[in-house]
Amino acid sequence: MSADFEVVIGLEVHVQLRTRTKLFSSADVSYGDPPNHHVTAVCLALPGALPVLNGAAVELAARAAIVTHCKLHPHSVFARKHYFYPDLPKAYQISQYEEPLATGGWLEIETAAGGVRRIGITRIHMEEDAGKSLHEAGDPETQVDLNRAGVPLVEIVSEPDLRSAEEAGAYLRKLRQLLRWVEASDADMEKGQLRCDANVSLRRRGETRLGTRTEIKNLNSFRFVEAAIRAESARQADVLEGGGRIQQATLGFDAERTRLFVMRLKENADDYRYFPDPDLVPLRLPEERIEKIRAALPELPDAREQRFASELGLAAADGRTLVSSRALADWFEAAARAHGSPKVVANWVLRDVLAALRERDAEIESLALAPEGFAALLRLVDEGRVTAKSARSLLPELLFAGGDPAALVRERDLEAVSDAGALEAAVAEVLGANPKAVASFQGGDEKSLNFLMGQVMRRTGGKADPARVRELLAQRLARS
Amino acid sequence: MSEPRETVVELSAQLAAGAITSRALVERSFERLSALDPALHAFLFTRREAALAEAAEADARRARGERRSALDGIPVALKDNIVQAGEPATCASRILTGYVSPFDATVVARLRAAGAVIVGRTNLDEFAMGSSTESSCAGPTRNPWDLARSPGGSSGGSAVAVAAGIVPAAFGSDTGGSIRQPAALCGVVGMKPTYGRVSRYGLVAFASSLDQIGPFAHTAADCALLLEAVAGHDPQDSTSLPEPAPGLSAALSGDVSGLTLGALRETEDAAPGVRARVREAIAELERAGAKVREVSLPHTRFAIATYYLIATAEASSNLARYDGVRYGRRAADGSGGVTELYERTRAEGFGAEVKRRILLGTYVLSAGYYDAYYRKAQQVRTLLRRDFETAFERCDAIVLPATPETAFRIGEKSSDPLALYLEDVFTVSANLAGLPGVSIPCGLDAGLPVGFQILGRPREDASVLRIADAYQRRTDHHRARPPR
Repeated sequence: MSADFEVVIGLEVHVQLRTRTKLFSSADVSYGDPPNHHVTAVCLALPGALPVLNGAAVELAARAAIVTHCKLHPHSVFARKHYFYPDLPKAYQISQYEEPLATGGWLEIETAAGGVRRIGITRIHMEEDAGKSLHEAGDPETQVDLNRAGVPLVEIVSEPDLRSAEEAGAYLRKLRQLLRWVEASDADMEKGQLRCDANVSLRRRGETRLGTRTEIKNLNSFRFVEAAIRAESARQADVLEGGGRIQQATLGFDAERTRLFVMRLKENADDYRYFPDPDLVPLRLPEERIEKIRAALPELPDAREQRFASELGLAAADGRTLVSSRALADWFEAAARAHGSPKVVANWVLRDVLAALRERDAEIESLALAPEGFAALLRLVDEGRVTAKSARSLLPELLFAGGDPAALVRERDLEAVSDAGALEAAVAEVLGANPKAVASFQGGDEKSLNFLMGQVMRRTGGKADPARVRELLAQRLARS
Repeated sequence: MSEPRETVVELSAQLAAGAITSRALVERSFERLSALDPALHAFLFTRREAALAEAAEADARRARGERRSALDGIPVALKDNIVQAGEPATCASRILTGYVSPFDATVVARLRAAGAVIVGRTNLDEFAMGSSTESSCAGPTRNPWDLARSPGGSSGGSAVAVAAGIVPAAFGSDTGGSIRQPAALCGVVGMKPTYGRVSRYGLVAFASSLDQIGPFAHTAADCALLLEAVAGHDPQDSTSLPEPAPGLSAALSGDVSGLTLGALRETEDAAPGVRARVREAIAELERAGAKVREVSLPHTRFAIATYYLIATAEASSNLARYDGVRYGRRAADGSGGVTELYERTRAEGFGAEVKRRILLGTYVLSAGYYDAYYRKAQQVRTLLRRDFETAFERCDAIVLPATPETAFRIGEKSSDPLALYLEDVFTVSANLAGLPGVSIPCGLDAGLPVGFQILGRPREDASVLRIADAYQRRTDHHRARPPR
């Protein structure tokens, strides 16, 4: 893409709220169950059925608004958005339109250059999800599954403040981190709990007016969001450079071929005929209730990161990684408290624990080892009772199966050889058995020391403290 | 055939005294139904066997000394837009042909808990859209006072079921007068409670912000009993009032002294005979000790226009769900895509009046017209509410005709929708303002009943019934029965 253009991106993110039941019916929110197993008269839009607002969803939506610094409105209104589709049983979706739950927030993201950019959030409103239309290959009929119909969502609309695919990705990751942190949503993109529409336009650098935009619908992974934005920016740049004009359109993204396709052009845009839903009363969220929800929130990631720096003395980058999820931050902090040396614990967590998780593609929540057990293992290392190397080798098993670190060390016969006599004997044996290496070391070949160390470690089954071995070798070689 | 004149209150006392059985009452309902309904066509569905079994249960309870309520064992009828589990609910529309509700409306659940025996489902204008019961897909209901005339509507079947003595009580729904107007034209009492007083859960929606279920009976005292049984907060209807059902029967003191009645000034649309009967009714209440002064509701001249914008907008939305996908009647021709299926299903399933209102409502909600029509109508609705607030500073209840004229001939207005819409001129304001209103018989004009309407402050259902009851204690108009 030509450097003359600036990409302007705004994101509309649909997030499924973490409720037990649907937004306006008592049917369970489910995933992967047989079709139409979680439907009531309300979900089916039977004659005479009426919606009743799920209060738990309101609380979760309010949390989402608070962590994105939005102003929550004490009075908001549910509206009907009309369109005919077989998976939309009432032929309208209950959403919010003129008076949304919250407006005017922001999120801060880190830029590639290492700076921080503030991305505006226009509004957050609550709405219900639609069902699913299923088309079997070769079957001319459409099947409808209404398990998802009525599942509570918030739509979070950003300002057109994002300037690259990477920034869009950073914004989404930050948003997901916050929503998970306050348990407003599990935000699992594979399960469609976080879906993204991207509005993309280009303009010449220095231009203040926005260019004509296209909207890419239903992007369901961070990778696809970034790939689709890149592809669309490149396409628009080609059009503009060729002297063409961008046509306002709704696009889909074919992830397999990394290609966009036109779903519909603006000419036949829908008229949704929004009007306030007369079956529902305005949503009242008095200041006191907002304050209660705010007060019940856990310490948020930015504050936690700052505290990790100021209280525990962690480097900024380490703190940021440790707050990438609340479970990780909690686990780390509990281990650090039990152990007493936060920096040592942080190093182990950042290197070894995260590696073990990546290896198994697991989440911190799945660990069987309590943070206190992890601290106990590190204490064994501190006390010289097990070498760091042995501890590292035991870590995956301990993390995922749990158990008492000291007992496992004994069971595997990995107690460090700390007995001075045994270690000295091993060193003497190695020196005696390798006169060539001794000679070459004394002839100035420093590398020979590493060879001799390796021999001692092998003789002790890796259980010797390497620093101690090096010390003993140096002493003996100097003497002889 | 002997004319049953008993009220719910009287029948309830006879049941309690063991003078009659519920089974005998239900049997009598079905005898009258068999004899009269072929001509009247008040009922769309009946449930004879189930009703007789339920009546027998009520009798068995009574034999054990149990009694669920004053309604235990009393036969009642339901308008066919109030759903009952296991029963059809067609709303007199082809599009709901074959539909059977899997759940009870809250009103139905409460009636059954009270021991009332539901005998059947009554005719209505399709989806309650009309003032004559002529737009029913099953054909019109006829007025027992003159079979050539309309009973009014849309709850015409329920009004006729009570007027003809088939049941002592029935329920209907009132969106712009659909209880009060047919009650007036059939010479029975019909009450629209305060909006939110009775749960709408299980009432098939026409215009959600206006719809309200209410009773038909011969007396205000009966309506008080019926309303007590079904009113009160329902967590399944977000718009239902938070408080439990008020004590209504206890409020019927017969005393109106100390009350001030506001006689509506703007009644020039009413026929002279109607105005005369209403003047006499007001004079009767004055003799009973009420003070009377004239009140004005200046914005009522916009009420019909406002009503037909709001009601059609909501209807266009509420009826969008009838698409033939999940239930109801689907067009047989399955060619083409889903859009063609919708078009054919809805073209075949809805009648002309329903289509007219869906089109109008879709138009007023459309981008570019919303502000001029829907939003403007909501603003006028607020003005109308303020008119009432101002008027109620000067009086405790407003009295006026229920309808501009007595029963009209079937077919007389069906070719002129606007003329039919004007039938609602005295009733729609109460729906727009959410007020309680009752129409009671106040005599005949040229052999046809005239309805006297009493409107109260929001939530003051009891005072409306108290005035109506006081009037009925002093007069006999509610004892008049159709000639046959």
